[in-house]
Amino acid sequence: MIRDITFGQYYPGKSVLHRMDPRMKLVLTFAMIVAVFICHNFYALALMVVFAVSAVLLSRVPLRMILKSIKPILIILAFTAVLNIFYTKGGATYFEWWKISVTEKGVNTAIFTVIRIIVLVVISSLLTYTTTPTMLTDAIERLLSPLKIFHIKVHTLAMMMTLALRFIPTLIEEIERIMNAQKARGADLESGGLIHRAKALVPIFIPLMVSSFRRAYELAFAMTCRCYTGGNGRTRMKQMKLRAADFIALLLCLAVIAGIIVLNIFFTRII
Amino acid sequence: MTYPVELRNVSFYYSAGTPIQVAALKNINLKIGRGELVGIIGHTGSGKSTLISHFNGLLRPSEGSVIIDGEDLGNDKETLRAARFKVGLCFQYPEAQLFEETVAGDIAFGPKNMKLPNDEIQSRVLKAAEFVGLRPELLDKSPFDLSGGEKRRAAIAGVMAMEPEVLVLDEPAAGLDPGGKNEILAMITEYRKRTGCTAVLVSHSMEDIANIADRVIVMNGGTIAMDGTVNEIFSRSAELKNMGLNVPEITRIFIRLRELGYDVPTDVYSVEKGAEILREIIGRRSPL
Amino acid sequence: MREKLIELNNVTFTYEADEDGTPGYTAVRDVSLDIYKGEFVAVLGHNGSGKSTLAKMMNAIYEPTEGTVTVNGILVDSEEKGDEIRRIVGMVFQNPDNQIVATIVEDDVAFGPENLGVEPSEIRRRVDEALKTVGMYELREREPHKLSGGQKQRVAIAGVLAMQTQGIILDEPTAMLDPTGREEVLKTIIRLNREIGITVVLITHFMDEAVQADRVVVMDKGEIIADGTPREIFARGEFLREHSLDVPQSTELCRRLGFEECILTPAECVEKISSVLGGAAQ
Repeated sequence: MIRDITFGQYYPGKSVLHRMDPRMKLVLTFAMIVAVFICHNFYALALMVVFAVSAVLLSRVPLRMILKSIKPILIILAFTAVLNIFYTKGGATYFEWWKISVTEKGVNTAIFTVIRIIVLVVISSLLTYTTTPTMLTDAIERLLSPLKIFHIKVHTLAMMMTLALRFIPTLIEEIERIMNAQKARGADLESGGLIHRAKALVPIFIPLMVSSFRRAYELAFAMTCRCYTGGNGRTRMKQMKLRAADFIALLLCLAVIAGIIVLNIFFTRII
Repeated sequence: MTYPVELRNVSFYYSAGTPIQVAALKNINLKIGRGELVGIIGHTGSGKSTLISHFNGLLRPSEGSVIIDGEDLGNDKETLRAARFKVGLCFQYPEAQLFEETVAGDIAFGPKNMKLPNDEIQSRVLKAAEFVGLRPELLDKSPFDLSGGEKRRAAIAGVMAMEPEVLVLDEPAAGLDPGGKNEILAMITEYRKRTGCTAVLVSHSMEDIANIADRVIVMNGGTIAMDGTVNEIFSRSAELKNMGLNVPEITRIFIRLRELGYDVPTDVYSVEKGAEILREIIGRRSPL
Repeated sequence: MREKLIELNNVTFTYEADEDGTPGYTAVRDVSLDIYKGEFVAVLGHNGSGKSTLAKMMNAIYEPTEGTVTVNGILVDSEEKGDEIRRIVGMVFQNPDNQIVATIVEDDVAFGPENLGVEPSEIRRRVDEALKTVGMYELREREPHKLSGGQKQRVAIAGVLAMQTQGIILDEPTAMLDPTGREEVLKTIIRLNREIGITVVLITHFMDEAVQADRVVVMDKGEIIADGTPREIFARGEFLREHSLDVPQSTELCRRLGFEECILTPAECVEKISSVLGGAAQ
């Protein structure tokens, strides 16, 4: 069902990763994403894979959830693999037919890139699985708070992000409802040329706008009723505190990055 | 003999073929006869909405077949499209579908999609507006300027204007006050009287179902748990209760009186009939 | 002398005129109403009777065009006062989807107290307590969009509870719910009033909900047309039907049988009939 969309969705738990300071998690996730990109050979990449697997195990997020996050990018993976196999040339030739040839370098690059993308997705989805969106936006708000000196309204931006995350599933359901209602009146959304299809969207788009405005209006009332007046004087239920676990995680990540750099130097570059 | 709506061994799975597959309908067999008014009851998530979405091909069964007016919907695009117009489906809170500049334009959306000639569309718009009790002067207004109740009527008119053989209404009175609700129900009864069409009414209100339906279908856990006349269904109040459903308040009173040992019938669904029965019993008891 | 929580004195509310000069619609006309502390008042009226507008004036979202609103002795005469008022009376709206702000249940309940600047540990305590009161503690880490309508409304109620307001105004909180959801929410509302002593103003058009209140106020065309106990109000079936309302089936049955007192619930109805029939049957 459409409500099952996995988009930055939280998986409740009490693991070490769940309890880490979201600011540290956010910073380390970015650092490790960069680390994936600096891997230049299979040894370095293997270290990254070990890191990702250990992180998954530590998080106690079921494998099924991790696989679910990879599922939507399967097409991209396949596409990348095919592209690399056929277009990267070098080394021994494994297979040749007409204008198509498969070489050692092509196969290696394909495998390398696919693993790299999977690791990227796993690491970033671990962040959203172990951190509630509220914590995440709070962390972003605090990490960006130095920008306040440039008169950037960091709190407002963070609030907008929270509301966007909150309302995406609601709006998707709404679109589905309106589409069904119009299809039941014979609206044809599937056939015809580009112009016809664009015109066919009007009966969907207008009700969606009308209802979104109404929602926004009601939401503003509801927030006023709950004494929301912006970021000033607001406290937070969930406090962020750097603890031992956060520093250990920091050291571990630094060690992995150092390891990758060393492995990059000692072994030949593949990519 | 053909039925306006017939389902044969229909099952429907959400996310079919994935590990998170959920069965929303399990092996449904159903025939709706011409001219019947069928009430569908069941708690939220029992499969009511999934079921009615099969009647006009909005959802395609994972297994089994849906036969509308003798034609298997199969995978033929034309048959499927024809089914949209043969079975007019009006969802809950239909006012959310209004989009045209004028009320008349919105009611005409369905007939236009049917590619009917212009004068036919015009006459259908007027007829549908009259059915739902929208004053002609409202037809040139923007649908967004109407009151809540008028918007609901305009939206229902949009489905009626397709002149479907089967009219399916999902909670047509949701969110309306008692007066508004009674008007909508009266409108449906009147529409059926005049057109003789088959109708399906999904409702949470046992009182309404008892009042207007000929036949009641009870959905539970994606299956048809009960199917029978109003009397047959509401006489099984204990089973209904287990499914999170109830019988009309008036019926509950009579069931309770019966439990207390009074010799009263329990197939009482309207206050009028209940009062009549009790007046007679009280009259017999206390000879004046 | 009972203390007043909300006082409306001759309030009128007219929506602003359109750009094309069409005069605004007057939704509430010269209404005076006092809500006392600890009361459970149901405001009954058909769609468009002005009951929602009235509710919005009670916690200063709308400012009356004429007349005054006083909450807990504070006269609402400026926007700052509005914020003060909303710490005293909270509000729950009809559409559960449009009032939940956060993506996790407990974070949403915390939203109000966070805005009030309450200490973090105190917020935690209040959030847990509020969620337990509405029976949603087990589901505190869920995502709101995966809850049922009744559950969402209970989260919204917990959000007001956590602000520790004296009163709560509920604007048709059950209109979009199924019978199960309606029952859950109604039970929760009754518990807030009877067990915690919160003043409740319930805007509704469901008769069986109004029956549960201490007092029923009936509105039509922006005016209060009746105000009394449920028994006094529901004794006037014909009057209610004239205003697009109704009475419960039990009440109607007993009226038709010519019983003098006004019966409100099926249980009362059965008791009354069996007493008329002379106790135990054969």
